[in-house]
Amino acid sequence: MSRYLGRRLLGAVPVLWGVVTLVFLIIRLVPGDALQLFLGTQVEMTPEQMAELRRVFGLDRPLWAQYLDYLGRVVQGDLGVSLRTARSVRGEIASRLPVTVQLAVLAVGIAAAVAVPAGVAAAVSRRAWVQACLRVAALAGLSIPSFWLATMLVLGASRVGVRVLGTYVPVWQDPWRSLETLLLPAVALGTGLAAALMRYVRASVLEVLGQDYVRTAWAKGLPARAVFRRHVLRNALIPVVTVAGFQLGYLLGGAVVVEEVFGLPGMGRLALGAILQRDYAMLQGVVLVTATLFVLTNLLTDLAYGWIDPRIRYD
Amino acid sequence: MRALVMAALALALVASGWAVQAGPAPVRFTLGVDQEVVGLDPHIVTAFSSFRRLDLLYNKLVRYNDQLRIEPDLAESWETPDARTYVFRLRRGVRFHSGAELTSEDVKFSLERVLDPATRSPGRSYIDVIESVETPDRYTVRIRLRHPLASLLSGLASGNLAIVEKAAVLQHGNLQRVVAGTGPFMLAEWVPDNYMRLVRNPRYFRRGLPRVDEVVFRVIPDQASLLAGVRSGALDMATINQGSVVVQAKREPGVVVLQKPGINLRIFSFNTTRPPFQNPAVRYALSFAIDRDAIVQTAEMGFAEVSGPVPASVRTYALPVSQFPSYRRDVARARRMLAEAGYPNGFSTRIVTSPTYEGGIAVAQVIQAQLREVGVLATLEQVEWGTYIDRWVKRDFDTMVELRGGDPDPDRFLYRTFHSTGAVNNFLFKDEAVDRLLERGRVNLDPERRKPIYAELQTLLVERAPALFLYVPYETQVLRPAVRGFRLVGNGSLYYLEEVQK
Repeated sequence: MSRYLGRRLLGAVPVLWGVVTLVFLIIRLVPGDALQLFLGTQVEMTPEQMAELRRVFGLDRPLWAQYLDYLGRVVQGDLGVSLRTARSVRGEIASRLPVTVQLAVLAVGIAAAVAVPAGVAAAVSRRAWVQACLRVAALAGLSIPSFWLATMLVLGASRVGVRVLGTYVPVWQDPWRSLETLLLPAVALGTGLAAALMRYVRASVLEVLGQDYVRTAWAKGLPARAVFRRHVLRNALIPVVTVAGFQLGYLLGGAVVVEEVFGLPGMGRLALGAILQRDYAMLQGVVLVTATLFVLTNLLTDLAYGWIDPRIRYD
Repeated sequence: MRALVMAALALALVASGWAVQAGPAPVRFTLGVDQEVVGLDPHIVTAFSSFRRLDLLYNKLVRYNDQLRIEPDLAESWETPDARTYVFRLRRGVRFHSGAELTSEDVKFSLERVLDPATRSPGRSYIDVIESVETPDRYTVRIRLRHPLASLLSGLASGNLAIVEKAAVLQHGNLQRVVAGTGPFMLAEWVPDNYMRLVRNPRYFRRGLPRVDEVVFRVIPDQASLLAGVRSGALDMATINQGSVVVQAKREPGVVVLQKPGINLRIFSFNTTRPPFQNPAVRYALSFAIDRDAIVQTAEMGFAEVSGPVPASVRTYALPVSQFPSYRRDVARARRMLAEAGYPNGFSTRIVTSPTYEGGIAVAQVIQAQLREVGVLATLEQVEWGTYIDRWVKRDFDTMVELRGGDPDPDRFLYRTFHSTGAVNNFLFKDEAVDRLLERGRVNLDPERRKPIYAELQTLLVERAPALFLYVPYETQVLRPAVRGFRLVGNGSLYYLEEVQK
């Protein structure tokens, strides 16, 4: 187990290195200059002042020198300083990450809570109208874009007098208020996920229902509840966990639109601002952290297989 | 069990209600804005969004009132013994947030800090005619200029010329994270991209102000959400700049919409070194080809005022647009002028525009359609914001849709924009007559003598057309009906929040 873990973590290193290198190059290859963007179109600066600024930020050095310097510092855990705010990239990310992690976990949680019962119902119900309703719901959930749903939720909630757009507070400070601010955004994000997940649950349950061991379970005269809990659900869960794990990984990169609509200070907005402003250090930091989280989520997903299905061994 | 939980919950609610009633609850005013600020050092920041907060934290020597006239701020009065000398008398007993008294030494330090090239202040160019700053006594500041400059007061009213506490700068190095001002509110808490909380300055020099205990800035990028926030009561006021959301707000019974023409100017710029735009006749012909009212209606939902080179909101100097012949659309005349200039069949060109920020994509689309009627085929080069700025800096465009930051003083806006040596003359425009008028307008201190100069200049600029001047967008704030005492200044400033009540 620990050898497996070590191997997987070691394997993540080249992936992360590749990601860092790619981002480092791409953000510098697109037209647009961090300093010019910072100054906008209204500020008058002499070329000498510009050169001085460039020197201060280390942007006057050759690309390879900047790259090696950056790699060297990243290895030591130093992500550098934002070109725009002069704050440390690590500090900025640390202040955004809780929002994004909470939002992602809540959204995937909501999705799973809806998708698993609904998916099972869709697989086993013999009533045509139940099937039809669930199919329509799934289709609607998949087709409604989260930005539209988010705006509608904000408008609808404000019309019925529900307080929306509360100020985000971390869960450890005030769990109730934290949940209150994140619930609607999580619903906006979770709806699409729930629909996608539900289709996997349904397909997976249908497949397991046709297996020999399920027929055997019925034949032994086990009650329906036991058949489902012990034999069907557990075995149907593996593909579902895979998908949910991926969804969680994606969400940990931030949900730009939902964050913008609900005014949440998450990773998505941090990344968007960094791209628009060519804030090199910030963008590199955000992508690196996001990629790391994605790799870790995948690893956790793989470990979850073993917990669900004891036949899976890691060595 | 459930009943027990409910009872406990109810008890908790009641208890929390009592707790709030126990002390006088602070009156909190929450303001929704769509952009976060980068830093708070008034001498260094460049973004409009930063100034909106600095207005509440700092004061300047003078400021613009809601008629866009200069009025005293930290300076009680001033005189100009000769055209190159300004003497400011400071208010007495003004205290910084730290408790220290503001003196002429702080003013001298602030001005010199802006003038110091090492500060890299964008405000430097506004006041670089200053030769020396003297402090004859604790409450008097004498400024000597290298040459007369009519727009000096306008420069001093800029957010970049806020007066800061000398001791604080010496202690902290810069003021991006700390506030060392005299303003009506003091910085209490700042969580970037989430909120900034300011608390009332009990020692504020305007007696009885501010009237609320706290101002909270909330950053919510989505415009529809800002409106929903005001409607639901989460926000007391929100700055809206998207026309469709303003239309929606006006239909809402539960919100109040305040609007006023702002100071920024929407223009359609030419690169005057690229054919065919090096020919002034071609540029002027296009002025007849476009319908400015239609642009305002389509691109801004009508929330803008058609304007000449001086922002229409600056009533003292702006000529009424009826005096510009080319502001009445005349397609036949435009075609004739193009034919005379050697383009009887029109020509093709490109418009650089961006969907982000002030990139003006909607304006570009309307202009594209209107130009087609005179045979000019324009392709839109829709670029991402970073590329847009890059093209602007490198002057790499045929034409471009822009939003320029205007100013109540015509010198400050027009000189840097249209003088052949102007710092933001990215039209690469060179015209001797324009240069001469700009130079005459800035050394004359008497407004009555400046008016005819700028009247002539405006007419000339419309004809020589380094850009087509289009309109000034309205400033819009959406408020809850209970809010009292807020006024729009008209240059984006929010300092009337010091008088706001709810």
